[in-house]
Amino acid sequence: MKDEQIQTSLARLMIGGVVVSATIILVGLVWFVAAHSSLKLGDHIFAGEPKYFENPVSMISRALDKGALGERRSIVMIGVMLLLLTPLARVAFAAFGFALQKDRLYTVISLVVLGVLIVSFFW
Amino acid sequence: MSEPWLDLAIAGASFLAGLIGALIGLGGGVIITPMLVLGFDVDIRYAMGAALASVIATSSGAGAAYLRNGISNMRIGLFLCVATTIGAVAGAMLATVLDADTLSIIFGGALLITVGLSLGKKSGEAKLEIPSDPLAVKLRLPGTMPVGELRKAYPVLNVVPGFLVMFVAGILSGLLGIGSGSFKVVAMDQLMKIPFKVTTATSSFMIGVTAAASVGVYLKRGYLDPALVAPVALGVLAGAFLGAKLLPIAPVKVLRIIFLTAVSFVSVQMILQGFHISL
Repeated sequence: MKDEQIQTSLARLMIGGVVVSATIILVGLVWFVAAHSSLKLGDHIFAGEPKYFENPVSMISRALDKGALGERRSIVMIGVMLLLLTPLARVAFAAFGFALQKDRLYTVISLVVLGVLIVSFFW
Repeated sequence: MSEPWLDLAIAGASFLAGLIGALIGLGGGVIITPMLVLGFDVDIRYAMGAALASVIATSSGAGAAYLRNGISNMRIGLFLCVATTIGAVAGAMLATVLDADTLSIIFGGALLITVGLSLGKKSGEAKLEIPSDPLAVKLRLPGTMPVGELRKAYPVLNVVPGFLVMFVAGILSGLLGIGSGSFKVVAMDQLMKIPFKVTTATSSFMIGVTAAASVGVYLKRGYLDPALVAPVALGVLAGAFLGAKLLPIAPVKVLRIIFLTAVSFVSVQMILQGFHISL
């Protein structure tokens, strides 16, 4: 794969990631606003978010849980997580492209960046 | 204000922030955070989290456009991302131990510097004939950019100082929830002498990756309030998109003077807020 091809595919990946996650966030937001209007936005008192937002799996299960009506917010969070994963996919794809080019130096550099991102997410 | 109206108001403000940011060449992050803190009385940590998410969205959009044009240099971008991502994680950690007032003061200071940087003149025509830093050659950083029909080679200088400034840019990004694009551009343009076109394109690719490095820490600390992230990210994204479309026809010079003056006042306001001084 040539540099140009990698760049074109990367561009598609980035746009796709943004469009998909923005759509999910929009759906989640509309649903959230429609479902209830009692929960306040993050105001001037910082409280932190519930623990289940830390973990994508618990986030998804909360989003689909019928009992937790207030947790429509989880849909938004899934969109946000997807959005945040776009750069990760970007770097992973770059590493893949460089590996195909047998460019060892830049495969390693891309993997180092990817490593920092993964550690920061799952640490 | 009831919830749906507040959501709409925040989305509207974010739309304006994205629009103005795209027109005057500042990221949405530096504009939206003061807007939320000063205008909507949102805790600065929630504001930073929402701003950071919007930074990732706009960077992916803008970065993709530049990649297609073949202007941005992926090798330079990824190499410097080693510095910015490590810096960003460090900055995000630092943000979790500082209180809201201190963050507000640092944010105001960084915002003032950002305004200064974007007022400062560009380094003019790139000198394409000067030889590259030997380290840059070893790392295969120098590339080519489209000039008319042809592609012209450009050199890359001062790799080590550039890398170090990128580390600082990363810390600021993680600490303040901004893309710190202005700092990245200065490092590449002024220090590494990379042509301005390549610099802006490469930096927009890097901003999203840098922001992603600190957002994991933000997520764990609960700085991402979904009810705030949603209207902000969507608003900024739509605003930045419109701004990019309007850029060729907008009176950019006048807008820059007006809004950079406004942003300077806002940064002073942020610093005063940190010290609990109200005028």
